Amino acid sequence: MTRSVLLRLQPYLYLLPALIILALFNYYPILSLVDMSLHSQTPSRPEAVWVGLQNYLTLFQTPVFSEVLVNTAWYVLATVPFTMLLALVLAVLLNQKLRAMPLFRGLYYTPVIMPTVAAAALGLWMFNANNGLVNYLLHLLQVQGPAWLSSEQWALVTVMLIGIWKNIGYYMLIYLAGLQNIPANLLDAARLDGARAVDRFISILAPLLQPTTYFIAVVAIIQSFQVFDFVNLLTQGGPSNSTNVLVFFIYQNGFEYLDLGMAAAIAVVLFGLVLITSGILTWALNR
Amino acid sequence: MGAKPLILRALTYLVLILALFPILLPIYWMIITAVKPKDEVFTFTPEWVPHTVALSNFGLAWNSAPFGHYFINSVVVTTGIIFLQLVTSTLAAYALARLRFFGRGVLFLIILSAMILPIQITFLANFVTLKNFGWLDTYQGLVIPFAASAFGTFLLRQAFLAVPPALEDAARLDRCTGLSFLWNFLVPLSRPTLLAFTLVALVAHWNDYFWPLIVTNTDAVRTLPIGLGMFIAQEVTTDWNLLMAATLFVSAPLLIAFFVAQRYFISSFMHSGLKG
Repeated sequence: MTRSVLLRLQPYLYLLPALIILALFNYYPILSLVDMSLHSQTPSRPEAVWVGLQNYLTLFQTPVFSEVLVNTAWYVLATVPFTMLLALVLAVLLNQKLRAMPLFRGLYYTPVIMPTVAAAALGLWMFNANNGLVNYLLHLLQVQGPAWLSSEQWALVTVMLIGIWKNIGYYMLIYLAGLQNIPANLLDAARLDGARAVDRFISILAPLLQPTTYFIAVVAIIQSFQVFDFVNLLTQGGPSNSTNVLVFFIYQNGFEYLDLGMAAAIAVVLFGLVLITSGILTWALNR
Repeated sequence: MGAKPLILRALTYLVLILALFPILLPIYWMIITAVKPKDEVFTFTPEWVPHTVALSNFGLAWNSAPFGHYFINSVVVTTGIIFLQLVTSTLAAYALARLRFFGRGVLFLIILSAMILPIQITFLANFVTLKNFGWLDTYQGLVIPFAASAFGTFLLRQAFLAVPPALEDAARLDRCTGLSFLWNFLVPLSRPTLLAFTLVALVAHWNDYFWPLIVTNTDAVRTLPIGLGMFIAQEVTTDWNLLMAATLFVSAPLLIAFFVAQRYFISSFMHSGLKG
């Protein structure tokens, strides 16, 4: 009797450790964040007080928040298509049967293996306004380089460039995996029929790569919504909030201003945005 | 089939090499700066090859913060996370792939949905949870939140599903069922997937900066990325050669592993990327 009960419970026991951890650190936090966002809790008033939607109302009236939304949107809209296009071009080139292909593939992938902190340190040095290599190379081209990370106009662009440098190899490899799943004889047949390279790409590769492209788009958009490390390490959201993005804004409100309710409200907004975006993309994929 | 026309091949190589330039230049510059003596760092015309190689930079950088301790912390935390993820994901994947029970489909969807709840969204709530547990600034605070992986469960479930049922029937005749079937058959047969998942988790957690930033507060538990992050904040605008030396030795362990076992890394990342 006990033995058969145990046998029936067996699957649940195997799932239990994973479910407990995910429940505690992935699902519960969403409920907890919603709850926190409806309360006010600050250093001057450490007891949580119910305030309803007040945090959200304040948030949407904060001018910095709209800057943060615009910066995050710019980051997503500028890096995602650019990274995807470059990654696709590299993957198509690397998919040729060349002897040095594994070497190239590995070298393009190097930044992905490095920690974001290391990429930030390299970026800081390369884009240093006075002694950086980037401005020296621009100087050789007779161009006066900007102050990059300390320029209100260029700081977000610099963070984007470092992000693209770090991530492009990752998406290149996923595209390459997608390309290698396409049967080679399909392309050979088209070549024998006299199709030009461009036509072959448009009529064969592009449609077959569509699932890969959707997958990369979802991953890249969700990833770039979450950009934080470079901002925290390089600019702290500055100069004058020109690089402040959603996750950094949560961090700032929660850990610098110690306004937990407000920070939670921003996190809930970010969650909503991620949910809506992946919803739209999944819908587009299944259409 | 004949080889591609020479001109086309040359063109492909040319583009690939040109595109490599922006990727590798910062890495070359890191290595060169890391071995330069201080007076060669700030020259108006950059020295592409250093006159003197100052290997002492590495010692100076290493001793400027308890990097040895950070290294040990990184090893402990990353090993702990990977070990726990492998155990919890294997068990969960086994139940989802090979056992029949009420609620299986729903539970699978519930586990999958954790993938859209990344730590960058949940960290504030998790910080409060760990504070209540008294786990801030501890190893368990760094490890336990990542003890399960929806992604790993998904990958392993796919691998376990691919094992034919006939094998399970044969094993049952030898009284090899349940956990012993999992351990003696499913796990060895899924070795490529286990390796792929381990390498992906290794790179993600060894390099992780975000969560240790939130929960660590003392050198006792700080990991390498945090140590380097603090170095950046300290050293900026002064000792670029030391900062680059530190960046180099923080990045080196994984980069060396990557270039030594490139084939495994690349096929792992392709494997997990496609199925992800």
